[in-house]
Amino acid sequence: MTDLPGPLLLTSTGVTGLVVLLLLSVGGAHVARRRGERRDAARRAELTPLVYTLLDGEQTAEALADAPAVLDDVVLHLLPQLRGSDRQVLRDLLVARGVVDRASEQLSARAPWRRGRAAMLLGATGSTRHTPDLVTLLEDRSPDVRSAATRALGKTGDVAAVPDLLAALTTGRAVPSGIVGMALLDLGTPALPALRTALDSGTAPARALSASLLGLHGDLPATAALTAALDDAGAPAEVRLAAAGALGRIGAPQATGALARVTVLAVEPALRAAAAEALGRIGDPDSVPALAAGMSAADLRVRTACADALASITPEGRDRLRALGALDGPAAPAARAALDAAPLGSARPLAGAR
Amino acid sequence: MSHVLVVDDDPVIADLVAFRLGRLGLEVSVESDGEAGLAAARQLRPDLVVLDWMMPRMNGLEVCAALRSDADPGLARTPVLLLTAKAQEPDLERGFAAGATDFVAKPFSTRELISRVTAALPPGSIPA
Repeated sequence: MTDLPGPLLLTSTGVTGLVVLLLLSVGGAHVARRRGERRDAARRAELTPLVYTLLDGEQTAEALADAPAVLDDVVLHLLPQLRGSDRQVLRDLLVARGVVDRASEQLSARAPWRRGRAAMLLGATGSTRHTPDLVTLLEDRSPDVRSAATRALGKTGDVAAVPDLLAALTTGRAVPSGIVGMALLDLGTPALPALRTALDSGTAPARALSASLLGLHGDLPATAALTAALDDAGAPAEVRLAAAGALGRIGAPQATGALARVTVLAVEPALRAAAAEALGRIGDPDSVPALAAGMSAADLRVRTACADALASITPEGRDRLRALGALDGPAAPAARAALDAAPLGSARPLAGAR
Repeated sequence: MSHVLVVDDDPVIADLVAFRLGRLGLEVSVESDGEAGLAAARQLRPDLVVLDWMMPRMNGLEVCAALRSDADPGLARTPVLLLTAKAQEPDLERGFAAGATDFVAKPFSTRELISRVTAALPPGSIPA
């Protein structure tokens, strides 16, 4: 047996004891957490059918007002997946349980995660009552809270928030365009009139995002305004670029003239390429001469976009590509590559009547 | 009694749909992924399949296409109702091309779902 000096023995015993205590407390905490999770899962399983009966009209929100807090998890999980009267019933339940009032108070909490969580919850309820509070949070000092408030505004379905959401793109504490775009998409087609208005006025990022979203919605009534934005040589490049993409997505042949002009005459290669791509999506045979002219552009992106667009216009575009591919010159490689990559098929129908 | 197979990887949604359809007097089975859903459809031969689109292992479209090409003509004709968040115009085209009978877009209304289930089943399937 080793003889250790007294103080060293005491120290090593103490350290060993502390380690054992630490291990025991970690193990105990783990067991307690697992037990708590199992209890919550059991309660959730017990309470979930009550939510279903509530949606079935057999239960009242008041009857569930005092149920354990884990019920809120079930409701908050279901809420974004339901709409109409189902959503209203769940919203009333959260109000009856005081969840909405508590979240409203948390909007000014000190901790950013509390403010963000409260914003998400209020958005999930789909209530417009808290729109002004959420709009205020668009300028929160925390970027996470600003993003949460942005998404929450989209979930509320309150189209009155569209100008505020677009303004959030360019404030001192700006929200990323992708997040604003998702919120505006969540608002759905009711937001289209406000987006059409925003296309004509406002900051360049707001106009560009509005144009892109109008295109994603395939908003045919916006064709004239988008065409005007594309044709406006003084408009910011990002707006014209977004307008070209949107016109392609809408697929309206009314825009063929403007897109053809931009394909041939615009200075920026990226804009010319975007216009050519849009012409390909529209598929109007009248655009073939402009696309063929674009094939002699100095910039490879423009030539490639024009060639791909011609390949998608049958038979006129492909006939022109074959002719270009047979000649010498910078257009030939792009023409041959586009023909090789083009799927066999017939022309797509035009989306809008002239 | 008509039999409905619900296939959705979200257990809360699957249970809610099963609960509401069960209340109508329908027999309901639930599966949580596409592969299990297809196997259950072949085994149970339901009168209607309510199918989520985005699921692990086999997505709803693949299940739908597999049902439509099944050697058993009865199973190949089974109505399929897609319950999905993917309900944009191109999604609808892809869904119908895969053989879907109808769509219910998420977020959804359980009342609308019940109406579409009722319409997809033969008349008299739901007890008065």
